[in-house]
Amino acid sequence: MSWGGVPGWRSIASGAAIVLLGAGLLGGAFILSGLYNVAASSNHFDITNFIIRLTLARSVETRSMGIEPPPDLSDERLARLGARHFALGCAPCHASPSTSQNPIAAKMYPAPPPLSHAAEEWDAEELFWIVKHGLKFTGMPAWPALERDEEVWALVAFLERLPEMEGRDYAEFSGTGGERSASALTFAPDRALEETVEMCGSCHGDARNPPVHPLAPPLAGQKEAYLRRALSEYAAGRRPSGIMEPMAAALGPSQIEAVAQHYARASLSPPGTSVDADADAAARGQAIAMNGLGEDGIPACRSCHAAETSGQFPRLDGLPAEYIATQLSLFQSGVRAGSAYSAIMAPIARRLSKEQIEDVAAYFAARSPGDGTGDTAGSEASQ
Amino acid sequence: MIRVGRGGLLLALAFAATGCSGVQSALSPSGVEALTIDPLFWTSTWVGVVVTLMVVVVVAIALYGPKDWRARLGGNWLVVGGGIVFPVVVLTGLFIYGLLVMQAGALRSQEAGEGTVTITGKLWWWEVIYSGPNGEEVVSANELRLPVGRAVRLRLLSDNVIHSFWAPQIAGKLDMIPGRVNEVVFEATKPGVSRGQCAEYCGGAHALMSFYVVAMEEAEYAAWLQREAQPAREPATPEETRGRDLFFANGCGACHQVRGTEARSLIGPDLTHVGSRLSLGAAALENDPQAFARWIADNQHIKPENLMPPFRQFSDEELSALAAYLDSLE
Repeated sequence: MSWGGVPGWRSIASGAAIVLLGAGLLGGAFILSGLYNVAASSNHFDITNFIIRLTLARSVETRSMGIEPPPDLSDERLARLGARHFALGCAPCHASPSTSQNPIAAKMYPAPPPLSHAAEEWDAEELFWIVKHGLKFTGMPAWPALERDEEVWALVAFLERLPEMEGRDYAEFSGTGGERSASALTFAPDRALEETVEMCGSCHGDARNPPVHPLAPPLAGQKEAYLRRALSEYAAGRRPSGIMEPMAAALGPSQIEAVAQHYARASLSPPGTSVDADADAAARGQAIAMNGLGEDGIPACRSCHAAETSGQFPRLDGLPAEYIATQLSLFQSGVRAGSAYSAIMAPIARRLSKEQIEDVAAYFAARSPGDGTGDTAGSEASQ
Repeated sequence: MIRVGRGGLLLALAFAATGCSGVQSALSPSGVEALTIDPLFWTSTWVGVVVTLMVVVVVAIALYGPKDWRARLGGNWLVVGGGIVFPVVVLTGLFIYGLLVMQAGALRSQEAGEGTVTITGKLWWWEVIYSGPNGEEVVSANELRLPVGRAVRLRLLSDNVIHSFWAPQIAGKLDMIPGRVNEVVFEATKPGVSRGQCAEYCGGAHALMSFYVVAMEEAEYAAWLQREAQPAREPATPEETRGRDLFFANGCGACHQVRGTEARSLIGPDLTHVGSRLSLGAAALENDPQAFARWIADNQHIKPENLMPPFRQFSDEELSALAAYLDSLE
């Protein structure tokens, strides 16, 4: 052998192999014996705890690099939307300024931490990463719809405001004030329609209040078949949304039917605090909506999105521009692709430029919700 | 030499056996221009065959011939005669013949054909606009009807990429170039149906961008054009009525025109008389009621990447109602 001159190497190598094999056998015997205590009732050793927490902190910091918070993160409306999801999706385990932690959740190990100071501990992008992806072996779930970053940001916007929030502020912010207790904020198939609708209205607005945020569109006067389909698609996970999927799944078919009927007949909600629409954009959007753009292969929106067409085609008049633009970009990116109807809309949305999307959204947002009757494509072109 | 002649015969048989006389074959000319191109093709082909045989014979002699024959081939005369003089004479002759055929075609294109048809290459279908009995525009698609024995001027356009319009039985191919109008004169010599094809790669569904050419006797053509200029007929049965209602409720008019109704978008093919056309989807499917149903729900499999979205929301009953309505648009 060429390394016969250094006889020590062979002994060291075989010694190391014996040690590794022995350690492997002992470790295997320990695991198979069942002696390790996996009980949530007993704590980790301090050193185990230290290593786990260090690993977690480093992982979150490294993996959240490069995430850019959206410009509207400080928008109070966004935080209000996030607060409503917090009350339903987070507070049951993490508690809130107006509720104490559920004793069952408190006995999880690790116990879900109170989030009142999360924003001081983590940057916005780190919070975003944790809320979106969840944490392994902690019970913290990932966001149900990983494609919907804008929803995750709503929650982060709320968490950023949470440190300064007292119990009463929180109740007002999350829509859990008044007679509604936090525990009432659950959907159930046997709940009375008025209560269910009151909860929908908490985000989507009702006859008195505008929607809390443009991403939660007003529902009154929407077509019944479309509402039914939208809720069924959310419930079946075919239309991704971390906020709407759990709500729709809790409703059940008969409640979905009743809610859809209710909103199709409901009187219109007052308009939201809309930003002054750009009249030029709305005029350009009107040209697209009424006549389409033949040279780009873009048909007139109004051919389908009008009162007298199929009940499966939603009414768009009076919907917030931000909602319409977001949905069109979801069609473009293939996120909304779970139904026969999205197969129609997606190729058309992909033909629209970013400016054209904004123009069309401005046009529909500037219309009042009752419009769109007897107003199909081309009727303005002929004037 | 006899054996070689038999080989040439086999070649001719092979052409016939591979279906060269089909609906889309330049070897079955039924138009004036195709009839002038046809002898050019056969002349070139047979000249090529004869030259090849001559080369084969000379090579065979050079390899296996008697000694004195081989010695005779070794002279300069073969290089000068067979390598320079013969090709120059033959190729010049063919070139001049080709120029004469082209010139004849160009001259015919300058003659004003009676009646003009404007054909625009779309992605991936053909918009065909006739001038109607009263000079009005009659929009149709994916089919060209011609009167037998009358020269018709075609204006070829494109509003997107370069296509090439080729109806092999009637005439040679001519490109459709965005921003230009190319003109060609078509004259069918006998009634019948032939097929054409886009002959310039133009993107995704290029291979299925075809059309039918229907040559008809003059009187029949005039009657057809008269009918084609009419608005769409009203639905006659409850099923057709239901089909029409579905057509409008589902926004088909956003892209299609049915003259006489509120559907008047020209993004997709005009459907005013789609029931009387021979094919659907630019000759992707033979036209029958089932084809309509298949096309509406499943067009992305029939013709991948075509610009019409699939409409999969319909039940079988709704699809047959829609098909009944569209089929009734004759």
